[in-house]
Amino acid sequence: MVWEIGLPLRFAANLPQNPTDAELVGECRRGNLRAYERLYELHAARMKSIAFHLLGSRADAEDTVQEAFLKVYKALNGFEGQSSLSTWIYRILINCCYDAMRKQQRLAEQPARREMAAPGEKPNLKLALKAALSRLNDRQRIVFLMFEVEGLKHSEIAAVLEVPEGTSRSWLFEAKRELKRMLMETAT
Amino acid sequence: MKFECGDLERALAVSELMPEAREHLKHCAACRREYRLWNEISNTAKLLHEDWETPDLWPNIRKAIEAEAQPRSRPVWTKWQIWAVAATLVLAAALFFARPKTPAPETATSGNRDFLTEQALHEVEANEAAYRRSIEKLSQLAQSKLKNLNPATAVNYREKLLMLDSAISDTRASLDHNRFNLRLQMDLAGLYREKQQTLEELLTRDQKN
Repeated sequence: MVWEIGLPLRFAANLPQNPTDAELVGECRRGNLRAYERLYELHAARMKSIAFHLLGSRADAEDTVQEAFLKVYKALNGFEGQSSLSTWIYRILINCCYDAMRKQQRLAEQPARREMAAPGEKPNLKLALKAALSRLNDRQRIVFLMFEVEGLKHSEIAAVLEVPEGTSRSWLFEAKRELKRMLMETAT
Repeated sequence: MKFECGDLERALAVSELMPEAREHLKHCAACRREYRLWNEISNTAKLLHEDWETPDLWPNIRKAIEAEAQPRSRPVWTKWQIWAVAATLVLAAALFFARPKTPAPETATSGNRDFLTEQALHEVEANEAAYRRSIEKLSQLAQSKLKNLNPATAVNYREKLLMLDSAISDTRASLDHNRFNLRLQMDLAGLYREKQQTLEELLTRDQKN
Protein backbone atom coordinates (compact mmCIF):
# COMPACT_ATOMS: atom_id res chain seq x y z
CA MET A 1 0.00 0.00 0.00
CA VAL A 2 1.20 3.50 -0.82
CA TRP A 3 1.12 5.96 2.07
CA GLU A 4 0.97 9.72 1.69
CA ILE A 5 3.00 11.57 4.29
CA GLY A 6 2.35 15.29 4.95
CA LEU A 7 5.20 17.57 3.85
CA PRO A 8 7.30 18.79 6.77
CA LEU A 9 7.16 22.54 7.29
CA ARG A 10 10.38 24.50 7.02
CA PHE A 11 10.48 27.30 9.54
CA ALA A 12 13.51 29.35 8.58
CA ALA A 13 13.91 28.62 4.90
CA ASN A 14 15.26 31.40 2.72
CA LEU A 15 13.06 33.41 0.41
CA PRO A 16 14.09 35.71 -2.45
CA GLN A 17 13.91 39.46 -1.71
CA ASN A 18 10.96 40.10 -4.00
CA PRO A 19 9.61 36.68 -4.89
CA THR A 20 7.41 36.25 -7.93
CA ASP A 21 4.04 34.50 -7.67
CA ALA A 22 5.58 31.32 -9.02
CA GLU A 23 8.44 31.44 -6.49
CA LEU A 24 6.02 32.06 -3.62
CA VAL A 25 3.75 29.21 -4.70
CA GLY A 26 6.75 26.92 -5.12
CA GLU A 27 8.09 27.77 -1.65
CA CYS A 28 4.65 27.39 -0.07
CA ARG A 29 4.28 23.99 -1.70
CA ARG A 30 7.65 23.00 -0.28
CA GLY A 31 6.25 23.86 3.15
CA ASN A 32 8.21 27.09 3.62
CA LEU A 33 6.30 28.93 6.33
CA ARG A 34 8.19 32.14 5.58
CA ALA A 35 6.56 32.13 2.15
CA TYR A 36 3.11 31.90 3.73
CA GLU A 37 4.04 34.72 6.04
CA ARG A 38 5.03 36.80 2.99
CA LEU A 39 1.65 36.06 1.43
CA TYR A 40 0.07 37.20 4.66
CA GLU A 41 2.12 40.40 4.75
CA LEU A 42 1.23 41.19 1.14
CA HIS A 43 -2.49 40.65 1.33
CA ALA A 44 -3.78 40.51 4.91
CA ALA A 45 -4.41 44.26 5.34
CA ARG A 46 -6.61 44.52 2.25
CA MET A 47 -8.28 41.23 3.03
CA LYS A 48 -9.16 42.35 6.56
CA SER A 49 -10.60 45.62 5.27
CA ILE A 50 -12.71 43.93 2.58
CA ALA A 51 -13.97 41.32 5.04
CA PHE A 52 -14.74 44.02 7.61
CA HIS A 53 -16.90 45.97 5.18
CA LEU A 54 -18.71 42.85 4.05
CA LEU A 55 -19.28 41.37 7.50
CA GLY A 56 -19.58 44.49 9.63
CA SER A 57 -17.33 43.43 12.50
CA ARG A 58 -13.60 43.18 13.04
CA ALA A 59 -13.84 39.88 14.89
CA ASP A 60 -15.74 38.27 12.00
CA ALA A 61 -13.30 39.79 9.52
CA GLU A 62 -10.31 38.30 11.37
CA ASP A 63 -11.96 34.87 11.59
CA THR A 64 -12.76 34.96 7.89
CA VAL A 65 -9.26 36.05 6.85
CA GLN A 66 -7.83 33.23 8.97
CA GLU A 67 -10.20 30.76 7.33
CA ALA A 68 -9.28 32.07 3.88
CA PHE A 69 -5.54 31.63 4.52
CA LEU A 70 -6.12 28.10 5.73
CA LYS A 71 -8.09 27.34 2.57
CA VAL A 72 -5.28 28.84 0.51
CA TYR A 73 -2.86 26.49 2.26
CA LYS A 74 -5.09 23.47 1.67
CA ALA A 75 -5.84 24.32 -1.95
CA LEU A 76 -2.38 25.47 -3.01
CA ASN A 77 -1.51 22.16 -4.64
CA GLY A 78 -4.49 22.62 -6.93
CA PHE A 79 -3.50 26.17 -7.95
CA GLU A 80 -2.62 25.99 -11.63
CA GLY A 81 -1.64 29.60 -12.16
CA GLN A 82 -4.47 30.33 -14.59
CA SER A 83 -5.10 33.53 -12.65
CA SER A 84 -2.65 35.57 -10.59
CA LEU A 85 -1.99 34.40 -7.05
CA SER A 86 -3.56 37.52 -5.53
CA THR A 87 -6.70 37.14 -7.67
CA TRP A 88 -7.00 33.55 -6.54
CA ILE A 89 -6.53 34.49 -2.87
CA TYR A 90 -9.14 37.28 -3.06
CA ARG A 91 -11.57 34.89 -4.75
CA ILE A 92 -11.15 32.49 -1.84
CA LEU A 93 -11.63 35.36 0.61
CA ILE A 94 -14.83 36.53 -1.11
CA ASN A 95 -16.19 32.97 -1.00
CA CYS A 96 -15.35 32.75 2.70
CA CYS A 97 -17.11 36.08 3.23
CA TYR A 98 -20.19 34.80 1.39
CA ASP A 99 -20.23 31.77 3.70
CA ALA A 100 -19.87 33.98 6.76
CA MET A 101 -22.63 36.28 5.49
CA ARG A 102 -24.93 33.28 5.04
CA LYS A 103 -24.17 32.22 8.61
CA GLN A 104 -24.88 35.74 9.82
CA GLN A 105 -28.20 35.73 7.97
CA ARG A 106 -29.06 32.39 9.52
CA LEU A 107 -28.29 33.75 12.97
CA ALA A 108 -30.15 36.97 12.08
CA GLU A 109 -27.49 38.96 13.89
CA GLN A 110 -26.33 41.10 10.99
CA PRO A 111 -28.19 44.34 11.78
CA ALA A 112 -27.20 44.19 15.44
CA ARG A 113 -23.52 43.58 14.75
CA ARG A 114 -22.93 46.26 12.14
CA GLU A 115 -20.79 49.05 13.48
CA MET A 116 -22.74 52.15 12.42
CA ALA A 117 -23.10 55.76 13.45
CA ALA A 118 -24.86 56.27 16.76
CA PRO A 119 -28.53 57.25 16.51
CA GLY A 120 -29.08 61.01 16.50
CA GLU A 121 -25.49 61.68 15.49
CA LYS A 122 -25.19 63.95 12.44
CA PRO A 123 -23.05 61.83 10.18
CA ASN A 124 -20.21 63.33 8.20
CA LEU A 125 -19.72 62.07 4.66
CA LYS A 126 -17.41 59.23 5.71
CA LEU A 127 -19.86 57.86 8.25
CA ALA A 128 -22.80 58.39 5.93
CA LEU A 129 -20.97 56.62 3.12
CA LYS A 130 -20.06 53.74 5.41
CA ALA A 131 -23.69 53.36 6.44
CA ALA A 132 -24.92 53.65 2.85
CA LEU A 133 -22.35 51.10 1.70
CA SER A 134 -23.76 48.53 4.10
CA ARG A 135 -27.15 48.92 2.37
CA LEU A 136 -25.89 48.12 -1.12
CA ASN A 137 -26.45 44.68 -2.55
CA ASP A 138 -23.51 42.28 -2.23
CA ARG A 139 -22.14 42.50 -5.77
CA GLN A 140 -22.23 46.31 -5.83
CA ARG A 141 -20.66 46.49 -2.39
CA ILE A 142 -17.85 44.08 -3.29
CA VAL A 143 -16.97 45.91 -6.51
CA PHE A 144 -17.11 49.32 -4.83
CA LEU A 145 -14.92 48.09 -1.95
CA MET A 146 -12.34 46.51 -4.19
CA PHE A 147 -12.14 49.39 -6.68
CA GLU A 148 -12.75 52.57 -4.69
CA VAL A 149 -11.63 51.56 -1.19
CA GLU A 150 -8.86 49.02 -1.85
CA GLY A 151 -7.67 50.27 -5.23
CA LEU A 152 -7.89 47.08 -7.27
CA LYS A 153 -8.18 47.45 -11.06
CA HIS A 154 -11.29 46.41 -12.96
CA SER A 155 -9.28 43.67 -14.67
CA GLU A 156 -8.34 42.26 -11.24
CA ILE A 157 -11.87 42.56 -9.86
CA ALA A 158 -13.28 40.88 -12.95
CA ALA A 159 -10.85 37.99 -12.47
CA VAL A 160 -11.69 37.65 -8.77
CA LEU A 161 -15.44 37.63 -9.40
CA GLU A 162 -15.14 35.66 -12.64
CA VAL A 163 -17.18 38.20 -14.61
CA PRO A 164 -16.30 40.26 -17.71
CA GLU A 165 -14.45 43.53 -17.05
CA GLY A 166 -17.42 45.50 -18.43
CA THR A 167 -19.64 43.89 -15.80
CA SER A 168 -17.28 45.04 -13.07
CA ARG A 169 -17.45 48.61 -14.47
CA SER A 170 -21.21 48.46 -14.73
CA TRP A 171 -21.63 47.17 -11.14
CA LEU A 172 -19.36 49.96 -9.90
CA PHE A 173 -21.44 52.56 -11.72
CA GLU A 174 -24.64 51.09 -10.25
CA ALA A 175 -23.05 51.12 -6.80
CA LYS A 176 -22.02 54.78 -7.05
CA ARG A 177 -25.40 55.81 -8.44
CA GLU A 178 -27.13 54.01 -5.57
CA LEU A 179 -24.78 55.54 -2.99
CA LYS A 180 -25.33 59.01 -4.46
CA ARG A 181 -29.09 58.51 -4.25
CA MET A 182 -28.88 57.38 -0.62
CA LEU A 183 -26.55 60.21 0.37
CA MET A 184 -28.77 62.82 -1.31
CA GLU A 185 -31.76 61.43 0.58
CA THR A 186 -29.78 61.64 3.83
CA ALA A 187 -28.84 65.24 3.06
CA THR A 188 -32.44 66.36 2.51
CA MET B 1 -28.24 67.58 -28.42
CA LYS B 2 -29.52 69.81 -25.68
CA PHE B 3 -28.07 68.63 -22.36
CA GLU B 4 -30.60 68.52 -19.51
CA CYS B 5 -30.37 67.72 -15.79
CA GLY B 6 -31.68 64.19 -16.41
CA ASP B 7 -28.71 63.50 -18.70
CA LEU B 8 -26.11 63.89 -15.96
CA GLU B 9 -26.10 60.25 -14.84
CA ARG B 10 -25.73 59.10 -18.44
CA ALA B 11 -22.82 61.47 -18.84
CA LEU B 12 -21.16 60.00 -15.75
CA ALA B 13 -21.37 56.57 -17.34
CA VAL B 14 -20.42 57.61 -20.88
CA SER B 15 -17.32 59.76 -20.82
CA GLU B 16 -18.01 61.12 -24.34
CA LEU B 17 -20.86 63.17 -22.88
CA MET B 18 -18.69 64.84 -20.25
CA PRO B 19 -17.76 67.96 -22.29
CA GLU B 20 -21.46 68.77 -22.71
CA ALA B 21 -22.11 67.93 -19.07
CA ARG B 22 -19.35 70.32 -17.94
CA GLU B 23 -20.92 73.08 -19.96
CA HIS B 24 -24.28 72.37 -18.31
CA LEU B 25 -22.69 72.33 -14.84
CA LYS B 26 -21.57 75.92 -15.25
CA HIS B 27 -25.19 77.05 -15.21
CA CYS B 28 -26.94 74.43 -13.01
CA ALA B 29 -26.30 74.50 -9.26
CA ALA B 30 -28.32 71.32 -8.57
CA CYS B 31 -26.30 69.27 -11.06
CA ARG B 32 -23.08 70.83 -9.73
CA ARG B 33 -24.00 69.58 -6.24
CA GLU B 34 -24.76 66.13 -7.62
CA TYR B 35 -21.53 66.02 -9.60
CA ARG B 36 -19.52 67.15 -6.57
CA LEU B 37 -21.10 64.41 -4.47
CA TRP B 38 -20.27 61.86 -7.19
CA ASN B 39 -16.60 62.78 -6.96
CA GLU B 40 -16.65 63.01 -3.18
CA ILE B 41 -17.91 59.43 -2.98
CA SER B 42 -14.76 58.22 -4.70
CA ASN B 43 -12.48 60.51 -2.68
CA THR B 44 -14.09 59.61 0.64
CA ALA B 45 -14.11 55.90 -0.20
CA LYS B 46 -10.33 55.84 0.12
CA LEU B 47 -10.72 56.82 3.78
CA LEU B 48 -12.88 53.79 4.40
CA HIS B 49 -9.93 51.39 4.24
CA GLU B 50 -10.11 49.79 7.65
CA ASP B 51 -6.81 49.00 9.31
CA TRP B 52 -6.27 47.71 12.80
CA GLU B 53 -3.62 45.80 14.70
CA THR B 54 -4.05 42.04 14.74
CA PRO B 55 -0.96 40.70 16.50
CA ASP B 56 -2.56 37.28 17.03
CA LEU B 57 -3.83 36.74 13.52
CA TRP B 58 -0.65 35.47 11.82
CA PRO B 59 0.38 33.31 14.82
CA ASN B 60 -3.11 31.77 14.77
CA ILE B 61 -2.94 31.12 11.03
CA ARG B 62 0.53 29.67 11.42
CA LYS B 63 -0.65 27.38 14.22
CA ALA B 64 -3.57 26.22 12.10
CA ILE B 65 -1.25 25.54 9.15
CA GLU B 66 1.17 23.63 11.37
CA ALA B 67 -1.68 21.55 12.77
CA GLU B 68 -2.89 20.88 9.24
CA ALA B 69 0.62 19.90 8.11
CA GLN B 70 1.09 17.21 10.78
CA PRO B 71 2.20 14.01 9.03
CA ARG B 72 -0.78 11.80 8.51
CA SER B 73 -0.64 8.19 7.51
CA ARG B 74 -3.37 8.24 4.94
CA PRO B 75 -3.75 5.56 2.35
CA VAL B 76 -3.77 6.68 -1.25
CA TRP B 77 -6.64 4.91 -2.93
CA THR B 78 -5.98 3.14 -6.14
CA LYS B 79 -8.54 2.68 -8.88
CA TRP B 80 -9.30 -0.94 -8.04
CA GLN B 81 -9.87 0.01 -4.39
CA ILE B 82 -12.38 2.66 -5.44
CA TRP B 83 -14.20 0.05 -7.50
CA ALA B 84 -14.13 -2.39 -4.58
CA VAL B 85 -15.67 0.20 -2.26
CA ALA B 86 -18.26 1.12 -4.88
CA ALA B 87 -19.18 -2.54 -5.37
CA THR B 88 -19.51 -3.05 -1.61
CA LEU B 89 -21.66 0.04 -1.47
CA VAL B 90 -23.98 -1.20 -4.19
CA LEU B 91 -24.27 -4.60 -2.49
CA ALA B 92 -24.95 -3.08 0.91
CA ALA B 93 -27.52 -0.72 -0.60
CA ALA B 94 -29.22 -3.62 -2.36
CA LEU B 95 -29.41 -5.55 0.91
CA PHE B 96 -30.68 -2.50 2.73
CA PHE B 97 -33.40 -1.55 0.29
CA ALA B 98 -34.44 -5.01 -0.90
CA ARG B 99 -34.70 -6.60 2.53
CA PRO B 100 -37.45 -9.26 2.90
CA LYS B 101 -40.71 -7.82 4.07
CA THR B 102 -41.43 -9.66 7.33
CA PRO B 103 -45.17 -9.74 7.98
CA ALA B 104 -46.36 -8.15 11.20
CA PRO B 105 -47.12 -10.68 13.96
CA GLU B 106 -50.72 -11.73 14.43
CA THR B 107 -50.67 -10.33 17.91
CA ALA B 108 -49.84 -6.84 16.70
CA THR B 109 -52.39 -4.32 17.80
CA SER B 110 -53.71 -1.54 15.59
CA GLY B 111 -51.51 0.89 17.53
CA ASN B 112 -48.23 -0.68 16.38
CA ARG B 113 -49.17 -1.44 12.74
CA ASP B 114 -46.52 1.01 11.55
CA PHE B 115 -43.76 -0.63 13.55
CA LEU B 116 -41.25 -3.20 12.41
CA THR B 117 -40.95 -6.50 14.16
CA GLU B 118 -37.83 -7.08 16.23
CA GLN B 119 -36.44 -9.59 13.68
CA ALA B 120 -36.96 -7.25 10.69
CA LEU B 121 -35.51 -4.40 12.70
CA HIS B 122 -32.40 -6.44 13.40
CA GLU B 123 -31.94 -7.03 9.66
CA VAL B 124 -32.51 -3.37 8.85
CA GLU B 125 -30.03 -2.26 11.50
CA ALA B 126 -27.39 -4.72 10.35
CA ASN B 127 -27.81 -3.66 6.73
CA GLU B 128 -27.87 -0.01 7.66
CA ALA B 129 -24.59 -0.43 9.58
CA ALA B 130 -22.97 -2.05 6.52
CA TYR B 131 -24.37 0.65 4.25
CA ARG B 132 -23.13 3.34 6.63
CA ARG B 133 -19.62 1.87 6.69
CA SER B 134 -19.55 1.81 2.89
CA ILE B 135 -20.65 5.44 2.71
CA GLU B 136 -17.99 6.39 5.25
CA LYS B 137 -15.36 4.85 2.96
CA LEU B 138 -16.78 6.81 0.08
CA SER B 139 -16.62 9.96 2.27
CA GLN B 140 -12.91 9.35 2.88
CA LEU B 141 -12.32 9.22 -0.85
CA ALA B 142 -14.30 12.39 -1.30
CA GLN B 143 -12.17 14.30 1.24
CA SER B 144 -9.08 14.23 -0.95
CA LYS B 145 -11.16 15.15 -4.00
CA LEU B 146 -12.66 18.11 -2.12
CA LYS B 147 -9.19 19.53 -1.47
CA ASN B 148 -8.54 19.75 -5.19
CA LEU B 149 -11.83 21.33 -6.16
CA ASN B 150 -12.54 24.97 -6.90
CA PRO B 151 -13.00 26.46 -3.36
CA ALA B 152 -16.53 27.75 -4.05
CA THR B 153 -17.67 24.36 -5.32
CA ALA B 154 -15.93 22.60 -2.45
CA VAL B 155 -17.74 24.84 0.04
CA ASN B 156 -21.09 23.97 -1.54
CA TYR B 157 -20.36 20.26 -1.32
CA ARG B 158 -19.09 20.57 2.24
CA GLU B 159 -22.24 22.46 3.26
CA LYS B 160 -24.51 19.92 1.63
CA LEU B 161 -22.64 17.00 3.22
CA LEU B 162 -22.68 18.73 6.60
CA MET B 163 -26.41 19.31 6.28
CA LEU B 164 -26.98 15.67 5.35
CA ASP B 165 -24.77 14.45 8.21
CA SER B 166 -26.66 16.68 10.59
CA ALA B 167 -30.03 15.36 9.33
CA ILE B 168 -28.74 11.76 9.51
CA SER B 169 -27.52 12.36 13.05
CA ASP B 170 -30.89 13.88 14.08
CA THR B 171 -32.85 11.03 12.51
CA ARG B 172 -30.63 8.44 14.15
CA ALA B 173 -31.09 10.19 17.50
CA SER B 174 -34.87 10.05 17.03
CA LEU B 175 -34.59 6.38 16.11
CA ASP B 176 -32.71 5.68 19.34
CA HIS B 177 -35.91 6.66 21.16
CA ASN B 178 -38.16 4.75 18.82
CA ARG B 179 -36.29 2.00 17.00
CA PHE B 180 -39.44 0.45 15.53
CA ASN B 181 -40.66 3.53 13.68
CA LEU B 182 -40.82 2.58 10.01
CA ARG B 183 -41.18 6.15 8.79
CA LEU B 184 -37.97 7.23 10.52
CA GLN B 185 -36.17 4.20 9.07
CA MET B 186 -37.35 5.20 5.60
CA ASP B 187 -36.28 8.82 6.18
CA LEU B 188 -32.86 7.61 7.24
CA ALA B 189 -32.56 5.42 4.16
CA GLY B 190 -33.51 8.41 1.99
CA LEU B 191 -30.85 10.57 3.63
CA TYR B 192 -28.19 7.90 3.09
CA ARG B 193 -29.24 7.60 -0.55
CA GLU B 194 -28.92 11.36 -0.96
CA LYS B 195 -25.47 11.33 0.66
CA GLN B 196 -24.35 8.45 -1.56
CA GLN B 197 -25.52 10.30 -4.70
CA THR B 198 -23.79 13.51 -3.57
CA LEU B 199 -20.53 11.68 -2.90
CA GLU B 200 -20.70 9.84 -6.22
CA GLU B 201 -21.38 13.08 -8.06
CA LEU B 202 -18.43 14.70 -6.26
CA LEU B 203 -16.08 11.81 -7.06
CA THR B 204 -16.95 11.86 -10.74
CA ARG B 205 -16.53 15.64 -11.13
CA ASP B 206 -13.74 17.00 -13.29
CA GLN B 207 -11.08 18.75 -11.25
CA LYS B 208 -10.62 22.41 -11.97
CA ASN B 209 -8.78 25.28 -10.43
